[in-house]
Amino acid sequence: MLKWYKEAAKNSDVVISSRIRLARNLKKYPFSIKLNDQQANQLVQEVKEAGKVFDTQTDKRYNSCNVNVLSEIDKTAMVERHVISPLLVEKEQSTGLILSEDEKISIMINEEDHLRIQSVTGGMNIGEAYKTANLIDDITNELFDYAFSEKYGYLTSCPTNVGTGMRASYMVFLPALTLAGRITKLAEELGKYGVALRGTYGESSKSFGSIYQISNQKTLGSTETEIIEKLNGIVEQVMRQERRQREYLLINSFDEMEDKVYRSYGILKYAKQVSSDDAMTLLAQLKLGIDMELIHVGQNYNIHELMMEIQPGNLQYQLDKAISCTQRDKFRADYIRKRLPDIV
Amino acid sequence: MLCDKCKKNEARVYYTEIINGEKTEQHLCEECATEYTSFQMGTPIMNQELTLGSLLSTILGNFGGTAQGKGSVEKELHCDKCGMTYSEFMKVGRFGCERCYESFQSILDNSIKSIQGADTHTGKKPKNFQTKTEKLVKELSEIDKLTIQLQDAVEKEEFEEAVRLRDRIRELKKEEIGNA
Repeated sequence: MLKWYKEAAKNSDVVISSRIRLARNLKKYPFSIKLNDQQANQLVQEVKEAGKVFDTQTDKRYNSCNVNVLSEIDKTAMVERHVISPLLVEKEQSTGLILSEDEKISIMINEEDHLRIQSVTGGMNIGEAYKTANLIDDITNELFDYAFSEKYGYLTSCPTNVGTGMRASYMVFLPALTLAGRITKLAEELGKYGVALRGTYGESSKSFGSIYQISNQKTLGSTETEIIEKLNGIVEQVMRQERRQREYLLINSFDEMEDKVYRSYGILKYAKQVSSDDAMTLLAQLKLGIDMELIHVGQNYNIHELMMEIQPGNLQYQLDKAISCTQRDKFRADYIRKRLPDIV
Repeated sequence: MLCDKCKKNEARVYYTEIINGEKTEQHLCEECATEYTSFQMGTPIMNQELTLGSLLSTILGNFGGTAQGKGSVEKELHCDKCGMTYSEFMKVGRFGCERCYESFQSILDNSIKSIQGADTHTGKKPKNFQTKTEKLVKELSEIDKLTIQLQDAVEKEEFEEAVRLRDRIRELKKEEIGNA
């Protein structure tokens, strides 16, 4: 089965992926900050055990593990692939993960809430992501009673998630708007509609390679469908703005853009050392060039997949050992060179 | 234009304050604005979630931690299930258990709307979840249910239906007495 970042998908020139996250807590345990170590162990064991039914009740296969005992490299690599959150990695208590083989579904155990059900699809297809997350939620609810109140809905550790407990988010590629210096203003505008725009890896992280996340801020008072529809409307607006800006670039600075794209390709093709920040910037340029048809490579070449693979954690994960920064930069340059498509 | 306060940095905030009808206007730099006004300047894009968190504390803080918003420290609100206190919640911004939502409801009710824009859930419910009304209806006896329907019919002046219901209730009551 294809992993989500290998799928060919709708609107993928701007929208890289669609993601749904549901926060749930079991009725029988106190919330995360009041959970003692023994209860944490129990929680992780119990949910992992219960998760075995996913194999028979959905069309996917799953693996589970205790996250807190994994090596730092494994954990970093999973954060870079958005399988788990940085918060789950930082926790010292027992934490767990149930992950489908195609990495489209992950259930984090004992994160900020007892369960964080995540479902992701490639491109703009959040309806599909919700359907899957909802199914997993239903199956889990058959096995455990959730903390739920008639008034406030699904009860969460933090009142900013209460209600639906749902965060719907799009990962978007906005190089032209970034180049035009319009991201900050856009973030302010979206804020007025209760929608957040932030860096790739969620809370307070920097943005790499012009990739951002757009997600709903409010979780109470609207139904899941209403939240998704509203977010869709906004993302379509952002998509239009980005495309318009790309057209503007084509018309007004074609030569400059073309030169930039080919230069980036040249550096990626011949560099002997490249840091991950540099690589991200160069790959973003190349992705923009491919999306704008300034440069032609083999069909369906997936730059975003390469972007994830060359992150420090994933590189070391593939080597199966920790290496120094300089060694990593050399290995990264080598890795990219071997995988860079030929210009046609 | 330079900042009116420090006279060093470029003024970026135009601050108008009206206290008791008296208007003062100032041109301030971001630093002075943060220090001397209620304005919080920050990088707008990357820390929205954090801002929401601190906003939460600020909003909740305005409503005070004691039962009626006044009184002594000994009466501090707390959750009797997990022991979470109001000040602890203010520090961490997280609840300790599901009961906390009831224990701190007096504060939440006033503030959750400012955070979420709404105060009542309308989305998905767990499959077997019963609302309070559903539970009450379920616990009602057949006679109670019919009596409610009868009152309803009388109010709507549907007298034929009312007669039918009245007779049915009489029958049931007779049966009950018979059974006893």
